[in-house]
Amino acid sequence: MILSYPPNYYSNVEMVDTAVCSESEKMREAYTRMIKHYFLPISTQQANPETRFLTLKTQWEADTAILSSVTEIALHPAYQQIIGMGHTAIRLILLEMKKRPGHWFWALKSITGEDPVLPEQRGRMKEMTQTWLRWGREHGYL
Amino acid sequence: MSVEEIEKVFPNLRISGYSITSPATPEYNCIAWAAGETESWWEPDPLSLYYWPSNIPRRYTAEAYIKAYEKIGYSVCNNPADEEGFEKVAIYIDTHGKPTHAARQLSSGNWTSKLGQLEDIEHSKLDDITGLQYGSVGVIMKRPRKE
Repeated sequence: MILSYPPNYYSNVEMVDTAVCSESEKMREAYTRMIKHYFLPISTQQANPETRFLTLKTQWEADTAILSSVTEIALHPAYQQIIGMGHTAIRLILLEMKKRPGHWFWALKSITGEDPVLPEQRGRMKEMTQTWLRWGREHGYL
Repeated sequence: MSVEEIEKVFPNLRISGYSITSPATPEYNCIAWAAGETESWWEPDPLSLYYWPSNIPRRYTAEAYIKAYEKIGYSVCNNPADEEGFEKVAIYIDTHGKPTHAARQLSSGNWTSKLGQLEDIEHSKLDDITGLQYGSVGVIMKRPRKE
């Protein structure tokens, strides 16, 4: 028997925004990814930048959490595919950075060719993140 | 990452015992943590995005990492055993000679390690986290302990 779902099935799935800790957020993202995986065709997943970004990000985070080298973290294939999304990825990365800190600086510098982080901020993730978010607002991405 | 996943990557921890001593965070790495730093990520990355002590070569070599720790008072020694009045760091090296991890000795004689972007752990032996992920201990350094 072939199961079929109405076209608006996924849009009817409502996530209540009550997550408050990082673990809850991860579970929420994993659940969202699972729902999308099962109810959206692959062609749609690949065509939707947000879905593609979320899929790649989740894979990248899971595979690199134990690594201590940003070079290794950034050379992960999923991260490289996010860089390959080009300017489409910038807003998605910045929105992700607003939610929680992450090693997105390599991707942002690679895509934009810019680096607004001051020398004295290097390595200080919170300051680096705030600087890039400011850059994003100034350039109309946020 | 769950405890099960940590122990899967570092099976020796299950045998020796260990404790998780911090929440997971990407804000500092093991190299910074071994240097006593929790506000920044230390790495000689090729894009110069992250902190690396000034005038130290930005290279993934044991020599560069030794110089970085020398800059904060450490010098190379050959004994990881607990020594009264000294604190030590251990630099782990992979089979290509590339530094992969650093651990710092506590006054108890145990070691503290930041596992990538995950938690800090306290473990009793340096060998607890050797293996495929971090390779083996390549360099031991020490400096007088500040009370």
